[in-house]
Amino acid sequence: MPNETLSINSFNRAIIHIDGDAFFASCEQSRDPALKGKPVITGRERGIAASLSYEAKARGVRRGMRIFEIKKICPEAIILPSDYETYSLLSKRFFEIVRRYTSEVEEYSIDECFADITGLRRPLRMSYPKIAEKIKQDLDRELGFTFSVGLGPNKTIAKIGSKWKKPSGLTVIPGYQIHEFLAQKETEDVWGIGPQTGAYLKNERINTALEFAHKDEEWVRRKFTKPTIETWQELNGKFILPLDVTGRTTYTSVQKVRTFTPPSNDRDFIFSQLAKNIENACIKLRRYNLRARNATFFLKLQSFRYAGMEIQFSRPTAIPSEIINVVEKYFDQIFDQSLSYRATGIAFFKLEEDVTKQLDLFCEVLRAKGLKKLYHSIDEINDKFGKHTVHLGVSSLANSALQHEKERGDAPLRKTLQIKGENKRQRIGIPMFIGAVT
Amino acid sequence: MGLCKFKSINSVTRLVKKMIEAELISKDEKGRLLPKKLFGETKILGSITAGFPSPAEEELVDTITIDEFLISNKEATYMLNVSGDSMIDAGIRSGDIVLVERGKASKDGDIVIAEVDGKWTMKFLEKLNGKTILMPANKKYKPIIPKEELIISAVVISVIRKYH
Repeated sequence: MPNETLSINSFNRAIIHIDGDAFFASCEQSRDPALKGKPVITGRERGIAASLSYEAKARGVRRGMRIFEIKKICPEAIILPSDYETYSLLSKRFFEIVRRYTSEVEEYSIDECFADITGLRRPLRMSYPKIAEKIKQDLDRELGFTFSVGLGPNKTIAKIGSKWKKPSGLTVIPGYQIHEFLAQKETEDVWGIGPQTGAYLKNERINTALEFAHKDEEWVRRKFTKPTIETWQELNGKFILPLDVTGRTTYTSVQKVRTFTPPSNDRDFIFSQLAKNIENACIKLRRYNLRARNATFFLKLQSFRYAGMEIQFSRPTAIPSEIINVVEKYFDQIFDQSLSYRATGIAFFKLEEDVTKQLDLFCEVLRAKGLKKLYHSIDEINDKFGKHTVHLGVSSLANSALQHEKERGDAPLRKTLQIKGENKRQRIGIPMFIGAVT
Repeated sequence: MGLCKFKSINSVTRLVKKMIEAELISKDEKGRLLPKKLFGETKILGSITAGFPSPAEEELVDTITIDEFLISNKEATYMLNVSGDSMIDAGIRSGDIVLVERGKASKDGDIVIAEVDGKWTMKFLEKLNGKTILMPANKKYKPIIPKEELIISAVVISVIRKYH
């Protein structure tokens, strides 16, 4: 039984998963040849490695490592502030290039996507592996760094494929070969099986993904809930998990967190930081036409511990001035002057679509309508002249102060290269090659 | 005469005279009456184009934006700030923005972006008896003859210079 094939088909459905190799670090290396072949790390403004090039990995740097640790083990490391604007521009291009081949693309994260290429062999006159290869070639060539691709009969297997060989791998797993790959995979390495389930399976003396896949359905259904059952079905070659191709149309929660250095115990400054986060989160709520019923705000202490509180609004809102008023009441309950803080954050939950509700007793709705109109105008002004052109007075301290001291405060290079016609806030939406051009 | 129950031709003449004065009718050279503005018609003041259906939809279908004009492959286009005067004779100055297409096959005579010693360089690509060289457009500079493999990253598509 152990080596029996799990599926006799090759591709009932042909799903590919594409993963950008060391995405952020690669974005940096691809635009500046001076960084090529060097250990490049992004995330300087956070004080930790957010992304690292393969050269940095080879020197023992790991994701999430603190900057001072990195400097010890890899003194030649080039540590850059994150340039999310450029990463996002390149991420969009990544998805657009995949969409040249199929409209069925799920943007899974900034550097990963799934694509359904089922049925395209004839119109494109290529085999499935050939289509996957072509997409990879386009991406590598036009974005200037490599991607790893997995092709399988479903999302779970495609993801095993893209992880199989990195960087720049192309791994094809037809149904009849799934078992060969699963035999070499630990259950926990499978997408959808978390450490909890993995530990449980180990207790049941199931170590490899193949052993799990060979368990009979009745046993799996008895022991697990829906997500794990679906993963088990996909490991057996069935197509269960559909692609979500709608893109992000809505959110179930919205949060904004920002770190600042040096840590501070200045009550007004910290509250201003929190107010700015609330403003930012509200901008996002309004962009998706949402309102929040609940919020959690929190302060991160210098000791890396958190203090926070959950609050409920009397009616759903996306108006920062209202929220800040409510938050201020509770802020002083958790703020302690004798401690230093390094970050603030806000998270909104219980979001609902912003549609006008029934009138309440004190005509609050009418007032809210006026505020809504006001914020609509503010959003338009800020769209035109840049984010935070109009902001609340309470956020001023956060808007005028540098977010970080010393080297952590350096802006990404692109933001310092202003072209005639660009302003401090708004730049041309085309990624820029950096470095001397003569 | 029957229509207005006039009793004499004189009355008719008087009415006609009034109507001519009011520019409602006129007389031709033989004395016959010609209608002028009798039926509430509009006076033509000269030709204007208003009144036609809005041109936006139909007529603007075949126009392209300045973006589309300057860029051919959107996903592969990058911009780059020019410094130095090595391409001055090709009309590319320091401070110009060039739009380049990454991964495009380059041919003889293209202006290309190549990677040389960890830097970008912009030069004319020349292919001479199977050899590739990078030619500056300025006599002060020497051609670059790559010792090893030459990495050509992009081809210049357009140049932008903004004055105001």
